[in-house]
Amino acid sequence: MQRHKKATALRTCAVVLVLMTLMVVAAGASLAAERTVRVWFAGTPEPFMRAVNDVLKPAFETKHPGVRLQVDFIPWGELSPKLATAFAGGVAPDLFMHGQAATASFAAAGQVAPLDDWFASFSGAADFGATLNAGSYLGKRYMLPVFGSGQLLVYRADFFREAGLDPQAPPSTWDELMAAARKLARHEGARLIREGIDLPVRGISAQQVWSPFLWQNGGELLSSDGTAAAFNTPAGAEALRFYVSLATDAAIGTVDEAQPVGNLPPLAAGTVAMSFLPLEVINDIANYAPDVYPHIRVAAPLRRQTQAAWFSFAGMFVSRQSKEPELAREFLAFLAGEEPLEAIVSALGGLPPRQSLSRASFVTKNPAAVAFIQGMAHARFNPNHPQWVKTRDILVRYIEQAAFGRLAPDQALAQAEREVNRILR
Amino acid sequence: MGAAAAGQAKAAGWAAGRRGRIRWIIPLFLLPAVAYTLVFRVAPIGASFYLSLTDYTMLSRPNWVGLENYRRVLFEYDLFWQAFANTVQFALEVLPLNIALALGLALLVNRAIRGIAAFRAIYYLPSVMSVIAASMVWLWLYNTRVGLLNSVLAAVGLPAVNWLGNPGTALHSLVLMRVWKGAGVNMVIYLAGLQGIPVELYEAATIDGAGAFQRFRRITWPLLWPVTFYIIVMGLISTFQTFGEIYAMTQGGPLESTTTVGYLIYQAAFQYFEMGAASAISFVLFVVIFTLSVLQLKAYRSPAEA
Repeated sequence: MQRHKKATALRTCAVVLVLMTLMVVAAGASLAAERTVRVWFAGTPEPFMRAVNDVLKPAFETKHPGVRLQVDFIPWGELSPKLATAFAGGVAPDLFMHGQAATASFAAAGQVAPLDDWFASFSGAADFGATLNAGSYLGKRYMLPVFGSGQLLVYRADFFREAGLDPQAPPSTWDELMAAARKLARHEGARLIREGIDLPVRGISAQQVWSPFLWQNGGELLSSDGTAAAFNTPAGAEALRFYVSLATDAAIGTVDEAQPVGNLPPLAAGTVAMSFLPLEVINDIANYAPDVYPHIRVAAPLRRQTQAAWFSFAGMFVSRQSKEPELAREFLAFLAGEEPLEAIVSALGGLPPRQSLSRASFVTKNPAAVAFIQGMAHARFNPNHPQWVKTRDILVRYIEQAAFGRLAPDQALAQAEREVNRILR
Repeated sequence: MGAAAAGQAKAAGWAAGRRGRIRWIIPLFLLPAVAYTLVFRVAPIGASFYLSLTDYTMLSRPNWVGLENYRRVLFEYDLFWQAFANTVQFALEVLPLNIALALGLALLVNRAIRGIAAFRAIYYLPSVMSVIAASMVWLWLYNTRVGLLNSVLAAVGLPAVNWLGNPGTALHSLVLMRVWKGAGVNMVIYLAGLQGIPVELYEAATIDGAGAFQRFRRITWPLLWPVTFYIIVMGLISTFQTFGEIYAMTQGGPLESTTTVGYLIYQAAFQYFEMGAASAISFVLFVVIFTLSVLQLKAYRSPAEA
């Protein structure tokens, strides 16, 4: 009796084992039949991840039966190290998103594929206009622009009125900016209650905000052939002197960067009257401080010798390690369409790369977005150079030294030039 | 007699067989540990040393450059020496404060009163927090406008301090946070040391008329010296490798006042992808830590032996 029970149990086990093996084999076969495209998206905002997972991924997979889109979201801060590690290990994704500043280093190392042929056959290329050149290196295009960002002067209309300034006529020149900043600063006794303007003197944003002053004054960051620093000129020195005086004038504010209050940027918290900000931050203000948002205004790029503002695009690159280069280009063609781009750009609150999308409702209903798109007429981009990140960091280090009074602006630029030239040559 | 000899021979044979079995079982048991050490410890160190002699960028193949990275780091790279000075300053500030606080806490909790275990746990708690979580908390404490520290200063009529944004205060602010975070572990180590000191010594000293300070100076401190020495050596190694809080709180600024060698290695490796230079800096740091540790061991002499 007992032996019979044991035999039954053994038979049952054997049947289960065979069934499980068959299921695993069947699943494996089905997976083997399925082709996979691996894509790394940069950034982890919830609406963005939802747009990709709930809209883009199902739409692409429906259009391409038998193809699985494997999506990963990498925080911007971790993107470069993870990509470099993946490339070094031979496990890079088929496509990845990155800022245009990454173009040169990946292209120079031969890790990304040029897309000129693909752009030539892509019917919507003309709609991208000049943004297609954002990811260019040595005459070849490597990046499909996905969304843009920029730094424009953003100000509080209520503080303008309070200071007797016209909110409809924001500063348009350096002198007007200085005068407005002085008027807008508010002190209670010796205590500074509100800074007239908050200028970054540290980190990437210091370069992004200072460079337009250089360009407006007729200066350049690098020589046209990219072999030397070009910022140490009278125009550059004047731009840095002005920047430092604006950042350190005690009547305007302090050299210390204004800190956010919780989720609120200083402009929304009311501790700053003017600031250079990207559109994404203005959209955050709309979400986190809806009472303040109606007072937020965006000014056109400042003018001195010329009008200029810093802009940058992030986009999609195709890895040379891709085992599915054709599918990767299929995904590129899908992503470049108006609907997928609208889903991504509206979720991120950035600037659309396609001109036709500037008429989309998520742009036209947002006055700040409209102002940024108008400002793009004066857009300048950082140079695409393999040594750009180091160059930028050196420049930032010396902007900071000048702002903290460790070096005079002229000396700071001269030392920055020496260091930059050492790495460029 | 014959039977006894046969028994002895049998026992000797059995023992020899056992020894033989043990002889090949020992390496078998050691194999996982040896393999782990070789694969995950020795090989990466060797690979890292090799990379320090190349121009490896992770995006392209390494090319041999000999000692060029070491030359650049030591003689061309100004930031290295500033980072080195910051690291030394950080270590010299953290260690004495950490030892004083840990010892003070250990003396406080080394008594049998109700609920003492809860106090010990509370003091130990910061040590189990991840460095990033602790950094987030301290970023709030140091916030210029809404931070707790500046609120206290404002309450007593003092001006706000930009703790992390001012080159004069940033490193000290990081020291404070590190001392808070690290004191718990050393408190436990000191506590173990304190509980190993025979009570009779204190009783004898008390009978001889020694006060609390004299008992501490003549008994506690000398007998705790091996523990203190251990804490100094380990503390020096960990402070020289400081990275997490710098990355989370200051990114080396302002004006590179908080750039430590550990942060510089990260910057070279993962911002500029100069793996060769990053490996060279790592080996320079290794040589410094190794030399300091050897010097400490050579100089080690317990006050009790003096």
